[in-house]
Amino acid sequence: MTTTTEAPASQPIADMEADSLIGTFPEGQRLVGSQCNTCGCTMIGSRVVCSSCISRDVSRVALPSTGVLYSFTRIHVGTAGIRPLGYVDLDNGVRTLADIREGDVPLRPDMRVELGIDDDDWFFTPAAGEKRED
Amino acid sequence: MSENVFVISAAMIPFGKHRTSSYVGLAVSPLIDAIRDAGIEKSDVDAVYVGHSYGGMMTGQRICKEIGLGTVPTVNVDNACSSGATAIHEAWQAISQGLIDIAVVIGVEKLTQFGGGTLPLSPEDREVKQGIIMPAVYAMRATRYLHETDATPEDLALVSVKARKHGALNPFAQFRKETTVEEVLNARRVADPLTLPMCCPTGDGAAVVVLASERARKRLDSKPGIRVAASVLHSGHVAEGFRDMIKPEISYDSARDAYAMAGVGPKDLDMIELHDAFSIAELIYYEAFGLAEPGHGVDLIRDGKTTFGGDVVVNPSGGLLSKGHPVGASGVAQVAEAFWQLTDQAGARQIDKARWAMTHVTGGGTAGLDHGACTIHIFEAA
Ligand SMILES: [Zn+2]
Repeated sequence: MTTTTEAPASQPIADMEADSLIGTFPEGQRLVGSQCNTCGCTMIGSRVVCSSCISRDVSRVALPSTGVLYSFTRIHVGTAGIRPLGYVDLDNGVRTLADIREGDVPLRPDMRVELGIDDDDWFFTPAAGEKRED
Repeated sequence: MSENVFVISAAMIPFGKHRTSSYVGLAVSPLIDAIRDAGIEKSDVDAVYVGHSYGGMMTGQRICKEIGLGTVPTVNVDNACSSGATAIHEAWQAISQGLIDIAVVIGVEKLTQFGGGTLPLSPEDREVKQGIIMPAVYAMRATRYLHETDATPEDLALVSVKARKHGALNPFAQFRKETTVEEVLNARRVADPLTLPMCCPTGDGAAVVVLASERARKRLDSKPGIRVAASVLHSGHVAEGFRDMIKPEISYDSARDAYAMAGVGPKDLDMIELHDAFSIAELIYYEAFGLAEPGHGVDLIRDGKTTFGGDVVVNPSGGLLSKGHPVGASGVAQVAEAFWQLTDQAGARQIDKARWAMTHVTGGGTAGLDHGACTIHIFEAA
């Protein structure tokens, strides 16, 4: 019997086990992120490979619950009624798409926002201390 | 060694809701017309490239078999809204490398199959699961643009007003009626600050161009043609954090590379067909193409610099906002417009003495990317 080298099989990755971006951490319920243990890159969601250095050594981390609203819109089409949606730049620099819940303070780009959780729903809302800008 | 490539014919159907036509029914007549107009036999065709996004398996082969155009390679290309332009890029590559002499490029899409609403996006995508739709992406660009510049919703409406004015002159356009700023602003809201006329319509369409090498063109006794001066295709680069949504790097970089390849700059262009899927896009792309400094694209629409009689006519066809946007067909239809304008066949919307044209089409809603794809072509009358 001759010895030959056999190509290893690449394996499929179950990267979509959890659709929810919310997880439980020591600090409470937070957005789930991933941090690369090789280059330090932080990403939104449960990731299996670092999009920066392609290392597979990534850890699940809690993302900050506060950030800045980069931009937003209110969607009027579809079945959900009027749905505010925005991009939030979290305090560690990671950007996430998020439902925005409007309070008394009108939404504007660059305002501070914070994570809110209502049963299974998560959203961002103007941070306490955000004032009306007239 | 790269060889000169020419577009030697173009044909398309009027864009609109053609509910009784299949992909085959949409594409066959422009396919025949483009072959006839090029003065070639179907046996002269060395390869077929077909851009579509929702046509399903073997769309190109289903179309080609109707006219007995087989044997040669048929390549189906999906790059979302950039599918048709990507197909042209592939044909250009093969001809410019001297591998083939004549290629037929078909762009085709049937969006009425979805019964209305916004474009279906990949359910595998994280932000799609969160409820993103393309109008919302552009609406957020618009919100940010209005925040960072002195632009107003009236300026966004002016883009739609210009598109409708141009479309009214184009028998191929889906919308052929002019509109006003008031009508645009008072229309149904889609995603703030965008109203319905600031969003491209759903429709069906097909467009076909024939590309040829210089050698083949001479053999065909020089029908009117335009030279492909640049063909550039870029893919989106992921950003896990901040992305400046009003300075889309994929369009900036593609334009820079296209200008370098063609050896011309923005001031040389007589016309541009750009990806105005939503009105805000046009203002941002003025800046990406160097027609205006960042933050000042809005000045061009206010001052009428981008319509007939201005510095450069942007979307003389009416653009996606007025001509319509059957995604896979749009990139080929833009090149058809460039062909007709640069060969003096554009009728009522003819730009006087047009010599240089640019076409630009991006594609796709994908989390973390500005766009999935961007294709830019520059053409010279020849
Ligand atoms: Zn890494």
